[in-house]
Amino acid sequence: MCGYLGIDVGSVSTNIVLLDEDERVCDSLYIRTQGQPINAVQKGLEYIRERIPEGMKIEGVGTTGSGRHLAGIIVGADSVKNEITSHAIAASSLVPGVQTVLEIGGQDSKIIILRNGVVADFAMNTVCAAGTGSFLDQQAARLNIPIEEFGDIALKAGNPVRIAGRCSVFAESDMIHKQQMGHNLPDILAGLCDALVRNYLNNVGKGKEILEPVIFQGGVAANIGIKQAFEKALGVEVIIPEHYDVMGAVGAAILARDAVRKTGTTSFRGFEVAEEMFEAASFECKDCPNLCEVIEIRDRKNILARWNDKCGKWSNAIAEKKKIS
Amino acid sequence: MTVKVGIPRALLFYYYFPMWNGFFRALGADVILSSNTTKAILDKGVRQSVDDACLPVKLFFGHVLDLKDRVDYLFIPRMVSVERKEYICPKFLGLPDMIRYNVPDLPPILDVTVNVSRSEKNLFKAFAEVGRVFTSNPRTIRKAYNRGIEEQERFHRLNHLGYLPHEAIEQMGRGLLNQNHSPARQGDMTIALVGHGYNIYDSYISMNLIQKLRDMGVRVVTPDNLTGTIIEEKSAELPKKMFWTLGKRMIGSAFHYMRSDSIDGIIHVASFGCGPDSFTGEIIERHLRRRRNIPFLNLTIDEHTGEAGIITRLEAYVDMIRLRRAAQ
Repeated sequence: MCGYLGIDVGSVSTNIVLLDEDERVCDSLYIRTQGQPINAVQKGLEYIRERIPEGMKIEGVGTTGSGRHLAGIIVGADSVKNEITSHAIAASSLVPGVQTVLEIGGQDSKIIILRNGVVADFAMNTVCAAGTGSFLDQQAARLNIPIEEFGDIALKAGNPVRIAGRCSVFAESDMIHKQQMGHNLPDILAGLCDALVRNYLNNVGKGKEILEPVIFQGGVAANIGIKQAFEKALGVEVIIPEHYDVMGAVGAAILARDAVRKTGTTSFRGFEVAEEMFEAASFECKDCPNLCEVIEIRDRKNILARWNDKCGKWSNAIAEKKKIS
Repeated sequence: MTVKVGIPRALLFYYYFPMWNGFFRALGADVILSSNTTKAILDKGVRQSVDDACLPVKLFFGHVLDLKDRVDYLFIPRMVSVERKEYICPKFLGLPDMIRYNVPDLPPILDVTVNVSRSEKNLFKAFAEVGRVFTSNPRTIRKAYNRGIEEQERFHRLNHLGYLPHEAIEQMGRGLLNQNHSPARQGDMTIALVGHGYNIYDSYISMNLIQKLRDMGVRVVTPDNLTGTIIEEKSAELPKKMFWTLGKRMIGSAFHYMRSDSIDGIIHVASFGCGPDSFTGEIIERHLRRRRNIPFLNLTIDEHTGEAGIITRLEAYVDMIRLRRAAQ
């Protein structure tokens, strides 16, 4: 039996999924990245390795998310793909017929419009990250409630207050004012859910034709308050798929399987990478006024990759070495 | 000693450099350009400029700082209007003043006003005024002016053949003035990149957008590849005249490209905080949805140097076009 790994390294969480040949999710993991993507990937691989079904062999691995290049180097990925494509592929595979995907992650939010199983349109938040998961995290921490309980508390609201949702800095000061005036916690949290949804639909969802079935995925989909706010605003049922929090990783695994089917072999470096020492360092190249911050990934012996140099001097030096050896 | 005239490689450089260059050279001056944008130039510009200016204006400051100690004059015309009954963004109008009062130790600034909103004759008058700094002979000035116009026409011809402005400027710099062939381009799809020249052709600010697209197998066309006639004709479809010249070019070209069968998608590039960009993007998107179902992407650029955001969007966009095509 063969399995495929999908790894989604996001700003807030790192998710790993083990998929079998029939696109069934055998195992999934959701761990916090905590600013250390390499560690998170290694920790995740260790867990998965212990729980892998007997007789299953990893035939391919794919990465996605903002840390996809970094993770791809470490595990030896067969496919390294952006998160929009990955999310869309996972959604249309796990929820056939889906036409709209709402996705809110830690640092970004996106909407994907599918027609006949193919992405027809998408949008992502612009330079600003207002109204994403990390903001909800922050507010939950400020109010001293566990993020897991956020949604349930919001559901108890009788009369949600209105909160400015255009900018998370505005939202925070507005929330503080409402709380000091004496509004109760459920009303404020429900108000925040409404504000976030309003901002999302105005900003990311602007001009998009939102048709059913609508699914809601990404880490924030765990928040029942947001789901309800979406249903209220859109007037349609919003489905939360079973593996809502690891959909990017599911897509990455499917893409890895497709890539391996084409090439015939996997470049997966094995679970041993979980124990290996990886070191990421950066230096400022002073050879020209661009002062590029070059990133270098090394294991004990070799430099595995370098990137972020505009001229390609440092990254190409590695590629050439590989050719020689 | 020849007089050195400095031209910052920013803002309207991407639209008018050949004209300025031809004119000054014919007057016997040396034209010195600032270096290509680097992190150091951008940093200096952001530090020196007023904080609510848009990124392209801040960058202009950086180029002035890069140039000012190497030249005898800085050429910063006050561009009010370049077409009849139309205007350039107000920040361009105040550019020489902004520079003069925010940057210390400047060489003299040649800051003539170019305003053809009422009469096109004012263009010559503006150049004549600059010319008098170099010579008192009106015939020499007239000749230099004509030279500038000729160079600008050559530049436009190259643009219409398919060279992008920064490539055309490079071609002309190498003396290849009479190209008759379109540049060879590889790629399985064509995307119209609609944005201000100073945003899309400055490879540092645009995070090398054009090259990134080309590496993904995309042919790139821009508003500058179209003739003025097309821009006029198509932008006239708006119920009210768009009187910002640069915005009009974006709208006119988008309206043209959205009707063309050879175009697979339109990408709109906006500067964060640019007023006109915020509504050109909106108008283009609305018309696009009404007319034809080709994918649209809006990219906002600012000081960010992390390329992850832009790469993710471009990759997903190009993937989408390819997958859509495969499904058809």
